[in-house]
Amino acid sequence: MAVSTPPRPAAAGPTRFLKRRAGRRRQWPFLLPMLPGLLFLGAMAVYPTVYSLVISFFRWNLNNPLGKQYGGFHNYDILLKDPAFWHSVGVTLRYVVASVVLELGLGLGLALLFFRSFPGDKLLRALLILPMVVAPVVVGLLWRYMLSVQFGVVNWLIGALGFGRVDFLGSPSWALPTLILIDVWQWTPFMFLIMLAALQGIPEDILEAARVDGAKPARIFFDHMLPLLRYPIAVAVALRLIDAFRVYDLIFMTTRGGPIDKTETLSWQIYDAGFKSFDIGYAAAFSWLMLILVVVLTTVFLRLMLRREDLA
Amino acid sequence: MSAVTHEAAVRRGRRRQRQRRLTVVRGVVAGVMTLLFMGPILWMISTAFKVGNQAFSATPTIFFAPTFDNFRSVFVKSQFGSALATSIFTATSSTILALLLGAGIAYPLARRRVRGQQHLAFWILSLRIVPPIVVIIPLFLMLRNVGLTGSVWSLVVIYTYMNLPLTVWLLRGFFADLPVEIEEASFVDGASRLRSFFGITLPLALPGVVATALLAFIFAWNEFLFANILTGANTRTAPVGLTEYVTPVSVEWTNIMAAGTLVVLPVWIGALAAQRYLVRGLTLGAVK
Repeated sequence: MAVSTPPRPAAAGPTRFLKRRAGRRRQWPFLLPMLPGLLFLGAMAVYPTVYSLVISFFRWNLNNPLGKQYGGFHNYDILLKDPAFWHSVGVTLRYVVASVVLELGLGLGLALLFFRSFPGDKLLRALLILPMVVAPVVVGLLWRYMLSVQFGVVNWLIGALGFGRVDFLGSPSWALPTLILIDVWQWTPFMFLIMLAALQGIPEDILEAARVDGAKPARIFFDHMLPLLRYPIAVAVALRLIDAFRVYDLIFMTTRGGPIDKTETLSWQIYDAGFKSFDIGYAAAFSWLMLILVVVLTTVFLRLMLRREDLA
Repeated sequence: MSAVTHEAAVRRGRRRQRQRRLTVVRGVVAGVMTLLFMGPILWMISTAFKVGNQAFSATPTIFFAPTFDNFRSVFVKSQFGSALATSIFTATSSTILALLLGAGIAYPLARRRVRGQQHLAFWILSLRIVPPIVVIIPLFLMLRNVGLTGSVWSLVVIYTYMNLPLTVWLLRGFFADLPVEIEEASFVDGASRLRSFFGITLPLALPGVVATALLAFIFAWNEFLFANILTGANTRTAPVGLTEYVTPVSVEWTNIMAAGTLVVLPVWIGALAAQRYLVRGLTLGAVK
């Protein structure tokens, strides 16, 4: 704007005030393009969230001819006393924590490997990131095929190494770890890509100075690189946390919550309650508990990791 | 004196040699890791070209004469072709909508200091935290009330919503990257805000806009939960279409792998094209 208005002597008191008000009014047409998007977001975000909160206080099963009945905290009461609920919280937390930790470790390791260039690194990097864009439905089916006890290539491989065949997705002790490993397979590339970008953003002279001082590679990593990776790690882990929590497609295609209840995550149970039992009030209360859990965990994590200056 | 420099030269030579050896080791390890991550995908693609007994043998078939029968059966015997068409339609139209609505919010956020704009931006970002399963019941009831369940438009609406936080945050970053002076110069020439946006800002930010579009497309293309619940028999998207090869009686693995390859291929091309912006896109602009 400074260019378009020729320099004018500063206006005295009242005129200046008027001008500022006019300026504020002139903002409005400029904010107009925001309106459709904001209205749409409002309708799609606020209404469903509030609505789901409201129906969570009702006993409402779509199969029940009585329809909606106010139940107060009835649904929450049932849920919080139900061992199955706490079981699925446990399954989800184990899934989320194990996969995100493994992905961060592996991704960081891979990023260090690719940090200094070598012949062919661009091509390998382009190939390495592909698993994360494969639709989770395809991922589930593909691994189910590869992990098959009869004709799966994985079982053939471990057989060739001298181990016995394992029913990875059908055995109660293997099912959850297997799902975690599939998640690690798909999402390590995500961590890798972000960690690599972060590493490449570190000013070279910091590392060079440490090297001249005679620091060993491990020292350089822990003292000079890791502190600078705090922010990207926080962002990447928070995003993975949020996404791992909602795991559904993968389970739909592989274990469907089984064997028994070993892989019943929160998303899976809510889906079951809402779209198989049509117990809508109960499912809504369930979703709200899940939402609270996700928000609290993400906030606590980001509070621990981020400093004030990161948010600017 | 010369002995010292000689010694230093030898030491430097050794270090260079060690570094060269290290580069080779790194390349080999990286190659093995890449193979590990690519392996399953290569296996899927190769299985897509196999006949039944090659795909189901106890010892894996690595060398075989490829057949196109699976692809043929995917398109001829099943509805998968139309599922792909539905996917292309929903992903494309929701991407365009999300870009339009997103740009409308992003541009003022990037260019004007308005009170509370930081709060607004973070509110939009926070929508990304809500798990889809949490809003699916109210959204389902809402869309049923307006008669949109079973129609592809319900998915277009939901994917637009799903991708809006992404497009707003990414576009805001790309617009903010452009120097204000270029736009201001066009004002001097008498251009209106609107003309300067479409004539100057948008073309300059185009690579970023295209990358944003590709990412939004990928997310819409891969989505399953909403598609599974909201589509009817004639409006299935490709991920939902895949589930039809899995029946309680049998699983048509070779067809699944062919159809899966078809689902994955366009997204790969998109991801490779947007590679340079992938980090920025996946972190909603938090890491550049």
